[in-house]
This record gives sequence, structure tokens and C-alpha cells, in this order.
Amino acid sequence: MCGIVGYIGGKEAKPILIDSLKRLEYRGYDSAGIALLDNESKIRVVKTKGAIKDLEPKIEKIDKIKKISSRLGISHTRWATHGKPSDENAHPFVDCHGKIAIVHNGIIENHLKLKDMLIQEGHKFTSETDTEVIVHLLERNYKGNLEEALLASLKEIKGSYAIVAMHVGEPDKLVVARNESPVVLGKGNGENLVASDVPALLKYTNKVMYLENREIAILTKDAVFVKNFEGKAITKEWHEIDWSIDDAEKSGYDHFMLKEIYEQPKAIHETMLGRLHDLNLNGILEREYDGIKIVACGTSYHAGLVGKYILEKFASIPTVVEYASENRYSELLSSKNLVILITQSGETADTLSALREAKRKGCRTLAITNIIGSSAVREADAYLLTRAGPEIGVAATKTFTTQLVALYLLGLYLGRNRGVLEPSEMQSYISALKQTPRVVQSVLDNADKIEKIAHEYKNISNAFFIGRGISYPIALEGALKLKEISYVHAEGYPAGELKHGPLALLTPEAPVFAIAVKDQTYDKMLGNIGEVSARDSPVIGVGTEGDKELEKLCDEVIFIPDIPPIFTPLPSAVVMQLIAYHIAKARGCPIDKPRHLAKSVTVE
Amino acid sequence: MKAVILAAGEGIRLRPFTYSRPKGMLRIANKPILEYAIESLVSNGIHDIIMVVGYKRERIMSYFEDGKELGVKIKYLTQAKQLGTAHALRAVKSQIDSEFLVLPGDNFIEPKLITEFLEGRGKVSMLLTESNVPSKYGVVKLVDNLVEEIREKPNVSERSMISTGIYCLPPQVFDYIEMLANMGKHDLTSVMQQMIMDNIEIVGVTTKRRWADAVYPWDMLKLNSAALQDAKFGISGVIEKDVFIKGKVSIGDGSIIRSGTYIQGPVAIGKGCEIGPHVVINPSTSIGDNVSIGPFSEIKNSIIMNDIIIGSASIISNSVIGDGVRIGPNFVAAEGNADVVLESEFHKVENIGVLIGDDSLLGSSIIAEPGTIIGASCKVSSGKRLNANIPSNGIVV
Repeated sequence: MCGIVGYIGGKEAKPILIDSLKRLEYRGYDSAGIALLDNESKIRVVKTKGAIKDLEPKIEKIDKIKKISSRLGISHTRWATHGKPSDENAHPFVDCHGKIAIVHNGIIENHLKLKDMLIQEGHKFTSETDTEVIVHLLERNYKGNLEEALLASLKEIKGSYAIVAMHVGEPDKLVVARNESPVVLGKGNGENLVASDVPALLKYTNKVMYLENREIAILTKDAVFVKNFEGKAITKEWHEIDWSIDDAEKSGYDHFMLKEIYEQPKAIHETMLGRLHDLNLNGILEREYDGIKIVACGTSYHAGLVGKYILEKFASIPTVVEYASENRYSELLSSKNLVILITQSGETADTLSALREAKRKGCRTLAITNIIGSSAVREADAYLLTRAGPEIGVAATKTFTTQLVALYLLGLYLGRNRGVLEPSEMQSYISALKQTPRVVQSVLDNADKIEKIAHEYKNISNAFFIGRGISYPIALEGALKLKEISYVHAEGYPAGELKHGPLALLTPEAPVFAIAVKDQTYDKMLGNIGEVSARDSPVIGVGTEGDKELEKLCDEVIFIPDIPPIFTPLPSAVVMQLIAYHIAKARGCPIDKPRHLAKSVTVE
Repeated sequence: MKAVILAAGEGIRLRPFTYSRPKGMLRIANKPILEYAIESLVSNGIHDIIMVVGYKRERIMSYFEDGKELGVKIKYLTQAKQLGTAHALRAVKSQIDSEFLVLPGDNFIEPKLITEFLEGRGKVSMLLTESNVPSKYGVVKLVDNLVEEIREKPNVSERSMISTGIYCLPPQVFDYIEMLANMGKHDLTSVMQQMIMDNIEIVGVTTKRRWADAVYPWDMLKLNSAALQDAKFGISGVIEKDVFIKGKVSIGDGSIIRSGTYIQGPVAIGKGCEIGPHVVINPSTSIGDNVSIGPFSEIKNSIIMNDIIIGSASIISNSVIGDGVRIGPNFVAAEGNADVVLESEFHKVENIGVLIGDDSLLGSSIIAEPGTIIGASCKVSSGKRLNANIPSNGIVV
């Protein structure tokens, strides 16, 4: 998603804006740009399709002719939604007279209508973006005060946005507005910053303030004022962030993704720490529910699918799982439902819409997220934090397994409160859950074999992932991981569905990854593996340690430790991650920043 | 000054505990041995660390990350094949432009020892200490404070001066390392010996401060009891009513100590543990993270690593229990003197209990004789009496 940075202060703005922008690279982007107010009161804009590092030589070229010195500026990484990635469509945008510059994250829904109107009034557009209407509206509404112009313009705009604006006539301020898209302010010493996310600020300050929806902030060198869209002043607090910039370093690993895969035993342990004896979620687990709805996107959705098995088994509550982007059209929610939102960033636009919809319907809402202070945490009735630490790799790994741990905890306590789980059963599940960090560690300790298998299959162009029961979502997740980072076409299927179509696609060149752990679906899985090998497709099995029969049926087997079936998604998910990682690495793919993808999807 | 920590080694003689982790990641008083080395550097103002890693390097990297939590900056370099200490140093040549310190990652040292070494050092220096078992080390002949000769693992039995493997070296050492590598020699002892032959003065700084390295698994128990003497103590987590805690005891976040438990320090208990009710923990015991100990059990002078379940009414003394081990009720691991066979070497060991490798699964009512070594991922069914070693992945039915 787009990344925004703004700086006002006593230092040279350019290096700070570029450096902070690099801290937002993880969000994914296709073009970058910067606008600086120079010492001759001119706005200098440099933008480019491609990487931030492509921006730097372009600035140097201008610097050679005339050195730009600036104390105020904005920068932006763009993730294309309206208009293809190009120099013209990159932000920042300036108005017709070069007096105002803005950057924007989000989508302006009524931009076509506004654009027609502004063109008729004589404004000249230079891009295909929705964003550009904002700067021309500002130009039209500007009467000597930027914040008033912005407030007036926002009245005409529909959509989601985080906007940062500057004006040559007001070199002592930056103006920021938020609706739906995340933006955070940072308080420095004689300088203030604004950015889409905390990592961009951490080098300069650990004091941050989250802007809420329909709030506007005016940043000067020494102060920050916040108002609502009605112009009323609001007092807000600064939060201190306790993780530092170095959390984002790779510490010896080739990729953030691999580092994060290996952090899972610790992250899983941290997530259950102190929650195995009691789980207090604002009274939400003590209520009676008819049903649970889990809403999420992408990898979090797969965690939700596992969650359905967990909640139905542990707590006997009918549970449905829905993609957040499809959810808003559902009508059957009532106040007797619990709605669980799963979102790593807590800012996923689709999931937040679903959250708001659920609240309107009177449901209790629970957010499972990794980011404290995120929109999901602030808006839901209760939240359960995964303690995975910052995840930089675009492909979710440790946030997925910690989401599963959160769901196990939830299932166990709901089951206990509803009288479904006997104390002794509860105790034995808790014991097994406590063993999972170790189980995951042992998968990691035996990663050599997975790496070897991945090398054998690195040249594939199609792959299938199959599983049954609780392993089915893990098959989906395995396929998603592989396509995300290695660009191999991969499909996840319930094993029993193969014969209803996909079997036609099997060839000796398309390997099938089959998760066949020893649970109640095991015998049927062996049957499905037989169907596959009869079509000459190579089969790579993921099974329970010591399973000789599976070894006979498959070309290769990756074993996971023998644990109660309900917990096998944790180790099998790690196997899936390692398969995808090593295939992608062998193919030379940009693993941490796959093309077209963004870490935190803040548009709908 | 930069410091290079050599942490690529496997530690074969410390099996079964080194099957899944490098030697430096063995936990002593709930901290990896490597962490003690880093802390010693920090307290001597050295923050720039190059860590040479190899065997199971992910374990080191995911624990220390970039070193921020310990207040240092760690750069990792990988030594793919562990040919020797000098070979490991070749990898760091490009990172070094002035005098630097070399530290083995498996030494257990106190910070003052580094201070003394730095104060007494010359252009090329090595740190020496006296040992009763010199045949395991490089034995050094010292004249005044200059090293005259080093012999690697000689057949000597009387107490002698040995090399600790801690060096302070100038960048010129890399020329010698290259030269000896061309002759097929990859250990620092040979490099030093060559420098002596070329009349380069090597200062030997001797120390009487605590220096130990874990060579055999039972050495870990000695180190553990020494480290617990100096460990930091603090109690968090939940302590139920009628728990008796005496002496220096630390208990980590999220742990719960149930009623009637008696803990006599020094004892370290990690995060997320569940102890009791009615458990007795005697001195010099370290219990890692995420460990459950059932009612009426008694633990003494032992290392209980992470993610372990110990059933009720079990007695464990002078033992080392690896990650992920699950033990049923009524387990008895009593201490005694024993002849232990390790990697086909015989050892007479005093006061030893049992050694259990990672992820082994023990049924109920098992009695293990002193000196029994159970490998990693073994399965032992209930009611067995164990008096011989069980190889890794072994099954006792």
C-alpha cells in the first residue's frame, strides 16, 4: 500500500524523507516521489516509477545544477490503484501553479465527477490518478489558509484517505487529514514528522500519535494541533513506542521472511505466555452466542478457516468464515453473534469495514491483530494481541502461526465457559499447546530436507496442495505462500475435491504436496494420494513422524512430530512456509517484496 | 575494538544436547553460554561484535538477532565447513582493520577476566590459565610473560598452563593465517607457533579468574551451579499462597508457582512455567521457559531446559533434561558415581544423574540409574529400569 512521509523542522528534510520512506518499503510499492520546499520558496518535485533508490540519482542531477536546501517536505511510495505505475502517476502532486503539493494514501471514490468539474473550471491534470483531484480542489478552495482549504475540500471528497499537504505561502506548516487510511504523527525535538506507519518514524522519535478518522492535524516545527473535521480542537496523547528501528534488521538471515519463519517458536510461546491460566477479554468470552463469524483476508482468512475447526471442536459453536471483501453483503448477523476479525496490521480496510458493519448490527466484536493501537484494536469491543513482533516480509509467516495460537486460546476458554470441555480435557489440550513451540522448533531444525526437496522442484510451473479436515486450510496457505513469493501457479484443494475437476490438470511436471497427518481423515488422504500417483504426478507428503505407509506412497515425505491432530496446523504451516521460501529462493525471486503485493492492504 | 566470537562449532562431545543446537547455545542458568561471552565484552566497553556461525546458525541468529537487546551490534559471518579456528578467522579478514579480540563462543568466563587480559596485553597476546586436565587443550610454555611454545592436546597429565582460546591479535595475523592455510593448517595454535618461530613476541597473560568450558554434558552442571551464584534474581509471574521461597530465586513472566511448593535458591525459573502444587526445588537448579512440573516432584542440582513436562511424584537430581522432553509420573533419576560411555570414550563421573536429549518421551514409573544417557527423540515405555545408554531415536519397549 502507499506509504507517506512528511517532515518539518530545522534539519535538511531530503535525507530524512528518503530514509523514512525506505522504512515503508515493506508495504510494497511501484513508484516513489518527493516534494521539497526550497530556500527560494519553490516546490521541487522529483518522482519516478520503480524503486526509492532510483529516486536518488534523479535528485542528485537537480542538485548538481542547483543545490536544493529544504526544511519542509513530503515523500511517498505509490502502490497503483487508479492509473498504471508511471512517473506521471507517482506522487506528490502539485496544483496548476506549483504552490501546493500533496501526497495521498487511499481511494477517492467520486474522483471522476470531481475531475470533470475541475477540468471545466480550467484546471490542468497531469495524471490518471484519483489523487490529483485533491490538489486541484485545494487550489480552488485556498484563501490564504491551508487547513481551511483542506477542510473545505474534504467536504466534497468521498472515500478513504490519509493526506499530507504543504503550501509555498505557509512554509511553517504541514497539514494532515485522515479518513480510513492509517497515519501516525511523530514528535521530535524542534521537528515533527508524519508517516503511514511507525517504522518510518523510529529513527527520529519514539513518541507517536495516531490520527483517528475525520481528524486533521497541523504540524509546525515545534507543535502539533489536532482538530476534527468540524474544526473543533481535540486534545490527544503521545504514545511511547518500545520497539526500535533495529527490529527491522535481518540479523544474519538472507531474507526477513526466513528470519520471521525461524522466530516462530519464540513468537508462539510469547503469544500464549500468561494466557494459559486465564484469558480476560473484556467479558466477551462469558456471554452466550448462537454462532461465531470470522472475517479476514488472505493468510488471516486461512487462520480463520483453521479457527472454525478449533471453535467448533473446543466450544461447539457453529462458526462461519468469510472473506472480509465479501462480508459486507451478508445480512444474517444479529446481537447473538460474536464476530472475530483477524488482521495482522489491524488496518486492513476490508476487515475494518466488516468490523464496523458488525457493530452496526449489534454484534460483539473481537479483533485478533499484531498491532496495538491499530484501528481494529481501537474499534473492536475486545482484542487479543498476537505477540509476533514486527513482521517485515510481505508473506505472512509468524503472524499466521500466532493467529492460530490466539484461536486455540479462544477455543479453549470458550469451550470451558460453555461447559463443553471437561477440566481434565482442558488440561491435556493446554499441555499439548505448551509443547507447540518445541514442535515447531524441531521442524525448523530439520529444514535441510525441505530445502533439498525444494531444489528438486524449483523449475515447476504448476503445483497442487491438498489436505482434508483441519489440514485443508493449511493446503490453501501452502499454495498461497508459493504463488506469492515464487510466482509458481499453485492451487490449494480439499483432497476429496480433486476428482471433481482438478485431476484433469495433473501431469508428471506438476507436483502435489499432500498433508496427510494421522487424524480421522488419514485413511481417506492415503486414497487421494493413490489417485494422484496413479496420474504420475510426483507426491510430496507431509506426515506424522514414523509413518512408514506414507513413505511408501510418496516420492518424498516431510515429517512433523506426533502431536494431537488439532495442533498439527502449526508445524504443517511451517513446513509449507519453508517449501515456498526455498523454492522462491532457488528461483531467485525477490522474496521480501514480491511484485504487485503490499504488506498492509489499506484499500478496499 | 572489535571482537570476533567463534561460534560455528558443533560440540560433538556434548551430544545429545548438540544435535539441535550449537555448543554456544547450551543454556547455563537459563542463558546461552554465548550470552555470557557477549556480556563480558559489553562490560569492557566492546560493542562491535562479529560472530562466526556455522552449525545450526539459525539458533544463534534468531536468539541474539542484531544484538540490540544486549546493547551490542552483531554482524554474522558463516563458516560453512568447520575446519579450525584460524579458518574461521579467514572469513572476518575484510571486517578488520585494527587490533581485535578473539573469543571462543563456548567459554564460560567472568567479565573481569577480559579486563585483566586487555590490561596485560601486548601486540599479540593470548590468555592462559592453569588446568588439571591439560591434555584437552593447547599446553603453553611460558618464559617470563612471553609464550615460548604451544603444543596442541599433548600427552601431559600434571597441572599445566593452557591456552583459553582467547586472543588479542593485530591485523597482520591474517598473513600468517593465509600462509598456514596454504600448508593445510587451519588452527590458531599452529598460527601462533609459526609466529613464535618467526620471533614475533607473543604475550601470555595468565589469569586465575573463572574460566571454564563445557566439554562433556556433565560439565554443564558445574557451570550452571557457578553461574547461578552470580545470576540476577527477580520474581514475576504468579506465586500462589503458601509457597515457600528461600535464598536467591528468579521466576519469569507468566509463570505460576502453585501452593505448597518449596524452593530453595539459587534457582532460576524461566517464563510461562507451571510448578506444583507441592513441588520441592533444591539449590543449583535451572528451569527454562514453558516447563510444567507435576505435584510432589523433587528437583535438585539440575538443568531442565525449555518446553518440558515432568509428571507428578518424580525425583530428578544432578541431571540435564533437553528441550521438549515429556516425562510421565513417578520418574526417578537418582544421582551416584558412574562409568559413563560417551562417543565411545569411558569416563568416571561423580554424582551424576541422567542426561536426556531433546524431545524424548518417557512413560510413567521409569527408573534411570546414575549416568544413563538417553538420546534425542527416544521413546521409553512405562515401568522400565534403565541402566544403559539409549541412542537417539531409540525405542525401549
